[in-house]
Amino acid sequence: MNTETIELSIESQRIAQMLASLIEGKLIDVPMLPEVANKALILSQDPESDASAMAKLVQSDQSLAGHVMRIANSVAYTPLTNLVSLQQAIARLGMGIISEIALSASIGAKLFKTPGYEQHIAAQWQHALATGLWAKEVARQTRSNVEVAFLAGLLHSIGRPASLQTILNLAKQQNVSLSHDEVLQLEDRYQHQTSSMVVNSWEMPTLVIAAIEHYPRYADAPTAATQAAQVSAAIQYANHMLNPEHLDRETLLALPVLAALNIYHDEAEKLLDKSEAVAEKLKELAS
Amino acid sequence: MNKDQFDYDVVVIGSGPAGQKSAIQAAKVGERVAIIERDSLFGGACVHRGTIPSKTLRENALRVKNMRQNVALVDFKLGEDTEMATLVDRLDDVLKAHDAFMRQQIDRNQIERIHGRASFVDSQTLHINRLGGESNTIKANKVIIATGSYPRHPDNVPIDHEHILDSDSILSMLYLPSSLTVLGGGVIASEYASIFQALGVKVTMIDRYPTPLGFLDHDMTETFVREFEAMGGTWLGCQQVKKVYWDDISEVVTECEDGTIIRSQKLLCAAGRLANVDDLQLKNAGLMLNDRGLISVDDKLCTVVSNIYAAGDVIGPPSLASASMEQGRRAACNALGIPIGDSSQLIPAGIYAIPELSSVGLTEKQAREQFGDVIVGKANFSEVARGQISGNTGGMLKIVSDSKGEAILGVMLIGESSTEVVHIGHMAMLCHAKVDIFIESTFNFPTLAEAYRIAAIEIISKRPK
Repeated sequence: MNTETIELSIESQRIAQMLASLIEGKLIDVPMLPEVANKALILSQDPESDASAMAKLVQSDQSLAGHVMRIANSVAYTPLTNLVSLQQAIARLGMGIISEIALSASIGAKLFKTPGYEQHIAAQWQHALATGLWAKEVARQTRSNVEVAFLAGLLHSIGRPASLQTILNLAKQQNVSLSHDEVLQLEDRYQHQTSSMVVNSWEMPTLVIAAIEHYPRYADAPTAATQAAQVSAAIQYANHMLNPEHLDRETLLALPVLAALNIYHDEAEKLLDKSEAVAEKLKELAS
Repeated sequence: MNKDQFDYDVVVIGSGPAGQKSAIQAAKVGERVAIIERDSLFGGACVHRGTIPSKTLRENALRVKNMRQNVALVDFKLGEDTEMATLVDRLDDVLKAHDAFMRQQIDRNQIERIHGRASFVDSQTLHINRLGGESNTIKANKVIIATGSYPRHPDNVPIDHEHILDSDSILSMLYLPSSLTVLGGGVIASEYASIFQALGVKVTMIDRYPTPLGFLDHDMTETFVREFEAMGGTWLGCQQVKKVYWDDISEVVTECEDGTIIRSQKLLCAAGRLANVDDLQLKNAGLMLNDRGLISVDDKLCTVVSNIYAAGDVIGPPSLASASMEQGRRAACNALGIPIGDSSQLIPAGIYAIPELSSVGLTEKQAREQFGDVIVGKANFSEVARGQISGNTGGMLKIVSDSKGEAILGVMLIGESSTEVVHIGHMAMLCHAKVDIFIESTFNFPTLAEAYRIAAIEIISKRPK
């Protein structure tokens, strides 16, 4: 997501230098991957695990349990039934979706402390969720791994709140007052490096880390080139869905990243048929 | 139309084994040739989604199986969280090397590569739709269709490429599943079922026929099933699949007509392949698909339209890369009026399952149908020193000869190295050698080639007095 470039004040430039040093020294304060999300990820990838282990995990986290029940009873997932027990809900949603819910519910906006920017972070998180969901559809189209695509899409901009939190902390420590636009510009400038740092620190699967590291320059990716291009394409599909006035249909369909994924014009158009389903899932996951 | 009115003398659609060989053959005799490929990668499904990736996985599966068989030498356990990427670790290098070699070959022969989707405007005009939406048309004197095939998706198997996969998406799995149901009993189903079973995945194969690989003799398929079950796999033959669904928890459920229910973490649907012709607008060229959804060709690989030829999976079985290559070469020769030689009728088949299977010439069943009386000689690998040394004792070799016990009609093998060892029989057949050649020749000791001698001795001992 681009912010308009403005001239940074001397104070802002000083904060930018400090932020760059912290990133270079890998000294950004990266919060631990919430335990519940970590466990859900492990369970969903463990061939020996079963639904009862996942149920136990969800029950251990009150807010997650509530979130699961709300989503399980939503129209998108259970159009004909009203689920009353958590066990039923997990059975209905499946391990993969529970893991997605656990990630989205626990990582979301509350993981980082960014006073004054909560709305901005919430909007970014919604975009990240939409990117994750679109990445799944792009992966299906290109016969690549769907779980990797979701994770890479979901976490591609996790560095935004981490950068923002650090910028605000630095400004406070240095007693510097930054304008809203300056903060967002600094966040935009450093978010990608920080995203790579966060996913590395959270020990995400190798392909996920590589996809996030290389998506801005997917054509030059030494590894995970397909996954990186999928993230890049998914970001654009999410942009179109959330802000069609900023990225119209024809511009989206002509993007070079689709050609890089060998997606022809008609196939790219067909992908847009999934918009309603993606929007429905997004609504539930973001609620 | 004279030659100058065409952009190319020959245009080949598809860059898989059939497409490449036909393009190279045409270029070798000085024709102006273009090859059109819809994918950004050269080589077709065979290279990028089929033969080469699955064989790369197979090599590691074999290593795992061998290490498990030799616990005295190495105490080996495959980690539960082993990533698929680790199991096809050399794939990128293999593909890059193959791609570079293919491109060099195409460039060296001055064949023009066109990246796009082709469709017929008429029998000599092709519309090329490129990525990004641009398009153009080209004219060709001769066209060879070699667009291959793609996996068939039965209506009752909702493939989502996440839990329920096809042969194009099976290798996209991030981790090895704990269990896998394989629908089908053909080459692809048998290869993947046995490879994943060798890797320790609990595999169940389900098919409507009593045995897998039904085009081979019963003793071959019986040995395959025995070996597969010895590794822990389950074969369920004569089963009609009623319904397949993801249970929304953690398993794919397969319901059979007789009430049998199989649950597994993932499912591979390998229920045949369909000709890849959806984009071609065949009717504009005057072509139609036959009732099996394939392009019909005559014995010269020519379609009903005299300037259009077809080769490879798009014309149907045997759907083997080796056969496709030869068909591609022959299609180009026939299109250009070049003699094809007589060796091309004898095409071996290789099935890269664990264990491997291979055959050349007639099966015993086909030979009996065609000639009535035949003589069969067999050798179990357990009778051969090399088989014992390498622990490759489950395999066998079979030679089928005419009723005099002289002419070799066919050779079949099952067991490791079968796809290599079959070529000894293949060469003997090409030279029209008698069965006696296997007794009169000296083979290295110890080798599996000795099995030829044992099988030949049995045939000679059965010769009519």
